[in-house]
Amino acid sequence: MPLFKKIGSAVLSAAIAVSALASSASADEAYYGYNYNWWNDPIPSQNGYVVDRVVTGTDMGVGALSEPNDIFVDDETEKIYIVDSNNNRIIITDEAMESATVLDTFTYGDEFPESKSIVKSTTLNTPKGIFVMQYKGETLIYIADSMNSRVLACYEDGTIFFEYTRPSNDLYDEEISFRPDKVVVDNALNVYVVIPSITNGMVQFSSDGTFNGYYGANRVETTAEILQNAFYSLFMNREQMQKRARAVAIEIANVDIDEQGFIYTVTSSKNTDTDVLKKLNPAGENIYLNMGLDDYMFGDVSVYYNGTTYASAIDDVEVDADGNVFLLDFTEKRIFQYSDELDLEFIFGGEGTQKGLFTSPTALETLNKKVYVTDGRTNSITIFKLTEFGEMVQEAIELFNRGLYQEAKEPFEEILLRDANYWFAYIGLGNAYYTMGDNETAMKYFYQNSRGGYNRAFKEYRLDAIRSYFSYFIIIVLVLIVFLIVLSKVRKHRKKKKAEKSAAGGDGK
Amino acid sequence: MMRFDLDMPAWKWPFYVTRHPFEGFEDVRWKKAYNSKVALVIVLCLFIVTVAGRLLTGFIHQTNFEKVFNVVPLFSSSVIIFFIWVVGNWSLCTLFNGEGKMQQIMCVTAYSLVPYIIGQIVYIFASNILTRQESSILTLISYLGIVWSAVLVISAIKTVHQYSMPKTILAIIFTLVAMVIIVLVLILLISLFQQVVMFVYSVYTELMYRFSM
Repeated sequence: MPLFKKIGSAVLSAAIAVSALASSASADEAYYGYNYNWWNDPIPSQNGYVVDRVVTGTDMGVGALSEPNDIFVDDETEKIYIVDSNNNRIIITDEAMESATVLDTFTYGDEFPESKSIVKSTTLNTPKGIFVMQYKGETLIYIADSMNSRVLACYEDGTIFFEYTRPSNDLYDEEISFRPDKVVVDNALNVYVVIPSITNGMVQFSSDGTFNGYYGANRVETTAEILQNAFYSLFMNREQMQKRARAVAIEIANVDIDEQGFIYTVTSSKNTDTDVLKKLNPAGENIYLNMGLDDYMFGDVSVYYNGTTYASAIDDVEVDADGNVFLLDFTEKRIFQYSDELDLEFIFGGEGTQKGLFTSPTALETLNKKVYVTDGRTNSITIFKLTEFGEMVQEAIELFNRGLYQEAKEPFEEILLRDANYWFAYIGLGNAYYTMGDNETAMKYFYQNSRGGYNRAFKEYRLDAIRSYFSYFIIIVLVLIVFLIVLSKVRKHRKKKKAEKSAAGGDGK
Repeated sequence: MMRFDLDMPAWKWPFYVTRHPFEGFEDVRWKKAYNSKVALVIVLCLFIVTVAGRLLTGFIHQTNFEKVFNVVPLFSSSVIIFFIWVVGNWSLCTLFNGEGKMQQIMCVTAYSLVPYIIGQIVYIFASNILTRQESSILTLISYLGIVWSAVLVISAIKTVHQYSMPKTILAIIFTLVAMVIIVLVLILLISLFQQVVMFVYSVYTELMYRFSM
């Protein structure tokens, strides 16, 4: 009987252990973590981000949201601004997101002309984007008021100090509507407006409202159709050419500005991978091109996880205080985090209705290493936080990108202990050993992971090998030369003898 | 006066031909030095070199990533292509007054592959020593091997069939077309046979079900 009891308790405890395991498994995220290695193969990986919580409008005490289209975080005041598009209002809240203030009526300031001062107040009509900045102690809010065809610039209390409207300039085509979608403002108070129907780039206003032209146009992707058009243009006349479909660049879908004032743009076309993400300098040129990242693919690059070769539609971009770049893919509803050198760190999110999945993600922002994603269908905001693994990776990559390869060695080793498939850790360790002068170990880490790194380490390794074995090498070469000389002499001698012999024999015959 | 001593063992002929691209094959023809065993050994070497190129090329210069190593495509891209070339060339050139027999075509083609094989061996060794900056040397090596072999193949076909130069070039181009046709027919045949086998098998299973009832 006691034996039975013992067995019974053992079975019971085993069952409990199993159920504990199962419950810890069910506490996992609704999405699988994965990452791309150097060969662009998707490799299962640990999750870098998990869901912290999901917040709705009612949680903030402002009633349900309706199609939130944009979210913005002011890094200085740590306030969060949510564009509640269908309710025509802006919701201002803080990191806790327990209470919020609503901004829906705006009053015209004194500097406006009579006609507008009579109306005094105005409301929004389907606002799509927002940008907030601190300027000389004032909070400036810029709202892309889409259906009213204007960009409102106001203070936090709702007093409008400027309205950017449709430019009355010849450069701006009359047939094109002015429906601002997103807006950013640089440190000189230049306003950049993303308009979905414009393929020339963003509309740039100076602070006094004059239209400065277009900024940051995308390139046209070289397709077979364009080559065909170029061929036809050799012999077709102008009228015939006009009848052919014109190739235009993909319009800019979203925009963000980082702390140094660089503007990042994304395109959200499913079938082109040209200029998906750009980092623009003040002249409107893509800096990533100079970094040699021309053919870099963003989003899901492989067939394994989405069926086609390239289908990611990047809808939003966010650059956090550390320079990490976050991209929101509308096709697969996933978020991709890249380091500032565009090394893929994490992929998280997905399509669905569970926590951490989205049906229609519209915008993302970061605040204190947390990622805020708005969903236009479920009208909620999902907040992701870093896992322990994620923190480790971020720390390591930050050290790595600052050039502190040896300091990054320990965190990278720790990462490999937790996830031996984390590809970038091998690069980090390879670089660490390379800077330490241990070329052989560096080569081991770079092997099958980074051709460039392996090349560098191998070059040093070869140089060392030649240096240490140079004397032997020279001796062997000298011996060989002497041997060859002797051999040829011996051969000549033999031939001569043979010839003499045969000549003598011939004489004899 | 005789320039060379042509009484040499069979295995020396490919190297002799390599060193004398133009008169070499005439000498082969004159001495009837067509040795199938040597030719087959060269084809085997070709196969080995193809596999080695995939497996032993240095990581810096390795462009294809093998997750699962499969030898079948390598076999078909070396050995099978070689024999398709021989068959294609023979079936074309017998119709156009070519004098070469199939065994002779096989031998001379195999002989002329020697520089390519040597080039590949040097390439594989060098790719493990040279860095990315010196990759132009590797390109030179592999091109040298290929061009030398191409010259030898032209010379070989010209001699073995006793063609003029323009006719040789034409013959080679049409041989390539013939190879494509052969491959197509082969694929068709294989898929047809597959269907026949499937048909017989399904009839068999149907019968088995009937009788077991």
